[in-house]
Amino acid sequence: MSDSTLSFRGDVFFRKFGIVAAFIGLCILVSILCQLRVAAGDWPDNVFLTAANLMLILHQISINGILAIGMTFVIIAAGIDLSVGSVLAFSGMVAASFATASVGVTPWSGNYGVVVPVIAALVAGAACGALNGWIIARFRIQAFVGTLGMLLAARGFTMALADGNPISAISPDLRWFGTGKVLGVVPIPVVLFLLVFAVAWTILNKSIFGRHVYAVGGNEKSARTSGIKTPRIKVLVYALAGTLAGLAGIILTAKTGSAQTNAGSSYELDAIAAAVIGGTSLTGGVGRLSGTLFGALIIGVMNNGLDILGVESFYQLIIKGALIVTAVIIDPSRKQTAL
Amino acid sequence: MKKSLLLSVGLLALAATLQVAAAADAKKVKIAVLMYGNKAEFVQLMQRYGKDDPAVTSGVADITFYDGRYDASVQNDQAQLAINSKFDAIIVNPMDFEANIPVVTAAKAAGIPVVVTNARLNTKDMNSEVVSDDVLGGYLEAKDVLAKLGCKGNVVIIEGPKGGSGEIQRGQGNEKALAECPPGAVKVLERKTANWSRAEALDLMQNWLSKHHSEINGVIGQNDEMALGAIEAIKAAGLNTKDFAIAGIDGVTDAINAVKAGEMTSILQDARGQMQGSIDVALRAVKGPDFKPLSPIWKQYEKDLAWNDGQSKRYDIPWTIVTKDNADSLLNDRK
Amino acid sequence: MTDPLLSMRGIKKNFMGIKALTDGSLELDRGEILALCGGNGAGKSTLLSVLMGFIAPDAGEILIDGDAVRFADARQALDAGVAIVQQELSAIPHLTVAENIYLGAQPSRHGFVDFTQLNRQAEDLLASLDFDIDPRAVMGNLSVASQQLVEIAKALSHRNARILIFDEPTSAIGDKDVERLFTVIRGLAAAGRGIIYVTHRLAEVFTLATTYTVFKDGARVASGRVSDIDRERLIEMMIGGAIEGEFVKDNTPEDTPLLEVRDLARAPRFRDVDFVLRKGEILGIYGLVGSGRTELLDTIYGLYHGDRGTISVSGRTFRGGAVQEAIGAGLAYVTEDRKDGGLVLCASVGSNLSLSILDRLQRWGFVRRDDELSQIGRAIKMMRIKTTGPDQLVRNLSGGNQQKVVLGRCILTDPKVLLLDEPTRGVDVGAKKEIYRFMSDFAARGGGVLMVSSDLEEIIGMSDRIIVLREGRPAGTFGRGAATAKNLMMAAV
Repeated sequence: MSDSTLSFRGDVFFRKFGIVAAFIGLCILVSILCQLRVAAGDWPDNVFLTAANLMLILHQISINGILAIGMTFVIIAAGIDLSVGSVLAFSGMVAASFATASVGVTPWSGNYGVVVPVIAALVAGAACGALNGWIIARFRIQAFVGTLGMLLAARGFTMALADGNPISAISPDLRWFGTGKVLGVVPIPVVLFLLVFAVAWTILNKSIFGRHVYAVGGNEKSARTSGIKTPRIKVLVYALAGTLAGLAGIILTAKTGSAQTNAGSSYELDAIAAAVIGGTSLTGGVGRLSGTLFGALIIGVMNNGLDILGVESFYQLIIKGALIVTAVIIDPSRKQTAL
Repeated sequence: MKKSLLLSVGLLALAATLQVAAAADAKKVKIAVLMYGNKAEFVQLMQRYGKDDPAVTSGVADITFYDGRYDASVQNDQAQLAINSKFDAIIVNPMDFEANIPVVTAAKAAGIPVVVTNARLNTKDMNSEVVSDDVLGGYLEAKDVLAKLGCKGNVVIIEGPKGGSGEIQRGQGNEKALAECPPGAVKVLERKTANWSRAEALDLMQNWLSKHHSEINGVIGQNDEMALGAIEAIKAAGLNTKDFAIAGIDGVTDAINAVKAGEMTSILQDARGQMQGSIDVALRAVKGPDFKPLSPIWKQYEKDLAWNDGQSKRYDIPWTIVTKDNADSLLNDRK
Repeated sequence: MTDPLLSMRGIKKNFMGIKALTDGSLELDRGEILALCGGNGAGKSTLLSVLMGFIAPDAGEILIDGDAVRFADARQALDAGVAIVQQELSAIPHLTVAENIYLGAQPSRHGFVDFTQLNRQAEDLLASLDFDIDPRAVMGNLSVASQQLVEIAKALSHRNARILIFDEPTSAIGDKDVERLFTVIRGLAAAGRGIIYVTHRLAEVFTLATTYTVFKDGARVASGRVSDIDRERLIEMMIGGAIEGEFVKDNTPEDTPLLEVRDLARAPRFRDVDFVLRKGEILGIYGLVGSGRTELLDTIYGLYHGDRGTISVSGRTFRGGAVQEAIGAGLAYVTEDRKDGGLVLCASVGSNLSLSILDRLQRWGFVRRDDELSQIGRAIKMMRIKTTGPDQLVRNLSGGNQQKVVLGRCILTDPKVLLLDEPTRGVDVGAKKEIYRFMSDFAARGGGVLMVSSDLEEIIGMSDRIIVLREGRPAGTFGRGAATAKNLMMAAV
């Protein structure tokens, strides 16, 4: 109906702090469960609530976090990017081919220092992303379909690159991106993740581009009428997601010391989950990066906590599934229907 | 519309060309090899050894690989396709212990010989299986870890995908070795799947290290990738891999390098033995009793593996324990 | 004396502590057409939502034929005979007309939809209403007006519907269709049904309704027979005080041409369109639905390429088909449907207002927040938008205020020419007048306004000249004296 001028007052609080409350609640729950084990004499101390373990969680979410940041931009623009896992693998493979001691896996493979592989991987990721965006904008196909195509194609390119073989013997310089530490405590992936978050947050909230992303996702036709070059925004958004997938590919390759053809399989789902748990609406136009940060943290705490508590992996999947759906159900910023 | 028309014409032309090429090779024995997927290094190795097989290079046989895309039903469809395309024999590396039985049933119904390789199928109808005994593999790797620990201390087991034949059989081997230690001497602190993945094993091992600090003495990875992930986790935690006994199975290149570096033990599953053994068994089934095996593997495993005129129901390709001594020659073999 | 068909007494409803209804009451008898009047926020919609079972009241009672009823959901209300013609277009675009009409009540055979029967039923229904619509047509391909007619048919498809609610049924359809609709409604009333009719177009109250009920601030303030009041009295009751004339018009056209459109055509929508909009002028474009008026504005604004013809602003010709160029040349466009093509509903008032001028507020690609806020503040003040602040979501504004946000976004680009398509559609009386004042002021300051409207009174009241389009071709231009309702209609049909 027309005059629903009423707004739900409580939702402001929920939208801003609900996710933080959920995160803190989860942390408390896990630590209580750990504390019970300590009390029962099973464990000497509460291993969950230690600085080292919390840093470890940050370390473990950095790849998904970086992917989820790109995904948040895409989803806010009313799109979806199913290809980030494959693009991650492709970029990681590209980086590896320029930073390996094993010669001959690709015609050009070798150690080109650190700048070449990093740039090459980021460019590879950006190119895949831009292609996604161009196809979606130019031919007006659904993002789901367009990026599904890239999901398959990029995986194929990954395998084609080294004839289906993994590329290992990664140079120590590149491996620094996965194994290095700042001041001996903060892992490089964490530093990169937080850096990406800060830059992305500024872009999304303060730049014209960011505002255009929200507008395009909220109502493309209105955005167009307002003078926004909507195809350009789409290309840029997917290119950004691709570039970040490229960065994540570098980190994964550096972390595991090998670029594998099956790397990053289904990572897109975790990235989407982080964004959605964080309150980003799949219908577009609504979402915050801070929500995504906590969404990624929640997934990370869950994986870490359930590993520590020794919960079987199938229950892990069930809990994660339930969490995603619950997050969307209780999300008060969902567009109301009917009234 | 026009474009798609052009594309279809192009594809038809391509198909026609392939048809002609196939006709020219009519005398060759056509073998379809159904692989469960092609993203793993081991599969890549099998494919390489398949293409390098003496029967293939000499023109006796012509082999075609199919990618099963990690889906048992896709493989079943591909078997039907191979039968319809008049292949002379089928070699299948099955995705699933049960779900791929129709490959054998369909081939037998069409009167085509079928050989199962690498992983097992829960049927006795195939001509032969050319496999490595996963129970033995699991036993060997666990035995190695426990020997290094002197049957004393705490171990963790990183398992394959739950319910898969690899996880079940290698797990049985692990248990068998553990049971040979005095009761209570070795404690299994944790066991959980990392789905054959290095990245997943890395996260899992990090979490275990966070929980158990330095209590973990040994890591039994049910494949090399996961053992390598554990090694990365140990390094990332600032610990020394020399303080751990670590083992994996398969003998992937990175693992052999890690063996050279003294970080782990790997039990090599012989991709060449499985692939080329299968091809010879298949050729014997097609060509009859006059056929003599062509691959060098029969010579290599003379002591442990009898050819038996290609008539054995099961060929157990022996495992090779990778050591610093044989690592280089194994690596050279792959170049 | 028999009980009235419907009686609602003392309905109360609070939303999160905000009183939406304090005393919702009305009576409706058989054969009666009741005009439910009130500004946006008066409580009409909440009252109707209660009646239709969408929401449960906090207090009060509903009696149908003298029996107290209580609806747990919309289905129960429907079964009791309460049906509505939706204001919002709620059709499913890729289903056919027949499928939309009988959605959820398709005739079936052996568990499958019986399409033969479905189409025959729909055909009969549409024919009985004298609607010229093919039941097999896909909904999304129909014009807005035809879709609205289908909505009406849908409401009437419930055979036992005794209380029919029409919520702004004419907001999207042309005059010819309105006449036909009125005939249908009168017929329905004559057959003994009770009609509740909600509209912002007061003229319709007097042509159609027999009784009226006026709501203000969540309570009934007046009701009676329409024949006892006049328009002015009704408006006074709605706004709670006396008003002067409805339209505001203080502009005078100058001679300087501002927007020149020469020989513009876009097949098959319109052709031979040729006119000059002068400084200070409000130029109306009138035509029935399907006459090509919206498409004309779309093309001038660059949303689509024309087939031929030129468009120039202040003598500067610009390439068609590019919105950015049109904005650069000084055009601003308020589209027909503000929710689709005007606003980003899920965004704030502020970000909607500044959306078109972000490029002017930037430093190195970042928005200068202070400048932005001052521009937003300027627009809120200028358009008198009733909002809690720039951060309020546009979705939560009333229709009139939403429209003012669209106008505000346009005005911040400092346009020379405003293209307005149905600028007061779904807007309450108070806000309407403010929009008229805004148009008049804009033209008086030397701007030009090109306005499309299907509201005859509005277009006559506001325009200096009116071009009538008929089936995509100009069918006459009328100056202020000559533009009478009769003349315009004659040219349009």
